[in-house]
Amino acid sequence: MTATNEVQTAPIIEVRNAAKRFAVNGQSLTVFDGVSCAIPQGAFLSIVGPSGCGKSTLLKLISGLEPPSGGEILFNGAKVTGPADGMIYVFQQYTKSIFPWRTVIENIEFGLNSHKKNLSRSEREDLCRQYVKLVGLEGYENYFPYQLSGGMQQRVVIARALICEPSVLLMDEPFSAVDALTRAILQELILNIWRTIPVTILFVTHDVEEAVFLSSRIISLTKSPAKIHEDVDIELPYPRDQITTRAEPKFHGLRQRLFASIFLQEKGVAP
Amino acid sequence: MKKRWPGFLLIIVLLLLWEFASANKMIDPITFPRVSVIFASWTKAVMGSGDLTRQLMPSMGRILTGFGLAALIAVPLGLLMGTIPMVYRLLEPITEFIRPIPSSAYIPVAILFLGIGNEMKVFVIFLACMFPILLNTYGGVRAVDPVLIDTGRTFGLSRLKALWQIILPAALPNILTGMRISLGIALIVAVVAEMITGNSGIGYFILDMQRVFRVPEMFAGIFTLGLLGFLINFIFLRIEAYFLRWRGTSVET
Repeated sequence: MTATNEVQTAPIIEVRNAAKRFAVNGQSLTVFDGVSCAIPQGAFLSIVGPSGCGKSTLLKLISGLEPPSGGEILFNGAKVTGPADGMIYVFQQYTKSIFPWRTVIENIEFGLNSHKKNLSRSEREDLCRQYVKLVGLEGYENYFPYQLSGGMQQRVVIARALICEPSVLLMDEPFSAVDALTRAILQELILNIWRTIPVTILFVTHDVEEAVFLSSRIISLTKSPAKIHEDVDIELPYPRDQITTRAEPKFHGLRQRLFASIFLQEKGVAP
Repeated sequence: MKKRWPGFLLIIVLLLLWEFASANKMIDPITFPRVSVIFASWTKAVMGSGDLTRQLMPSMGRILTGFGLAALIAVPLGLLMGTIPMVYRLLEPITEFIRPIPSSAYIPVAILFLGIGNEMKVFVIFLACMFPILLNTYGGVRAVDPVLIDTGRTFGLSRLKALWQIILPAALPNILTGMRISLGIALIVAVVAEMITGNSGIGYFILDMQRVFRVPEMFAGIFTLGLLGFLINFIFLRIEAYFLRWRGTSVET
């Protein structure tokens, strides 16, 4: 399956023969080698795969936070050599990524650090309040993170990432640490944001159902050393919502097929 | 304050016991004068003649100058040691060598270089305050979560800005702990230095009163020292609670 409706436009991110090796006890451990893919602008692309297959590592390479051991990453056609302007990485451990000494609004304002420097004080504040509203945290502007629930902290982290208007959002299992209901609500939130703001989202998750619900396309990786196992377009219409989308037979079909493929990988039965 | 009354009650009970034992000559009333006598000479020395108040100021001045200078130098140095490995490798051995030397042992050396005046005392207090602040700052920087640093990187923060906006606030709890330890040490070193080479200060006052056998005044000086230490710590805890209000656990209320 190829993304026939997307290949027309130039990809915003290109991964070319990327490799990552770590030295473990003096031995070289290959996480993956020769991974290539192109991500079209505006996609909601999820990367799924068995645990420890290097999904998060791949995302780190794309973000420029970690250098690849081989191959290269292109962002808007330019080689990524460090954290690139226009890409924001949203960490899995939101409790460690939020600044505990900043209030909600101060945390969000941090996103403006190296952007929109010409804004006046009041304009900055107005903008911050817009993003507070976008993630539904009105009334909590002056709360410190310790006073918030996990889901609310994750909203702060998302608003902080969005306020600098990144063209790519890299999300590493962002909802894995919140309860199921909060997760469902945050999934809808991120979908709504993606549909209103022109942003490409790369989403790493181990939850196939979550990936099918959110994504326009899913890449599944094999067990380490990882290769791209499947590249599937998710042809479920947007807008999607938790009740009707999840009830569609097509949703179940996709979920079932992808889950089986990853599950067998994990068990070590598959090719 | 509510839950602390048993502790204060104990102090009062012990003082009353002392008063009683001394009045009934169960302990030597010359070396242990009655608490009421000590209190009377304390009131006189503080409010009346002002002998004690006059000696308090030079001590406080030395402590705050020495501590302030130490904080001013040790915090940036600790930040550098924690962020630049080369600086750490350069300074770690010398730190480890000087740190275990009791700070009062510097006094004879300091006298050789700086004489017996105020500079010497400030210098010794400064040196004693350096290491707790330096090592706690360094430890705090090393303990900053890498995710926090990476968050700064993904937002394109320069290294200098990350130092100021991420590393410093994240290490602040440790830095403040180091400062509080230093303040306690500063008081000790100030008193020792003043006793060795004093013509002013609370340490000098205590030793002087002992030499001329004005025992109640001597005790008044010691009690003042206790009160001073308590007050410094109390004020510092308040400052700490304000700066760390984001942690949600108030240190003391």
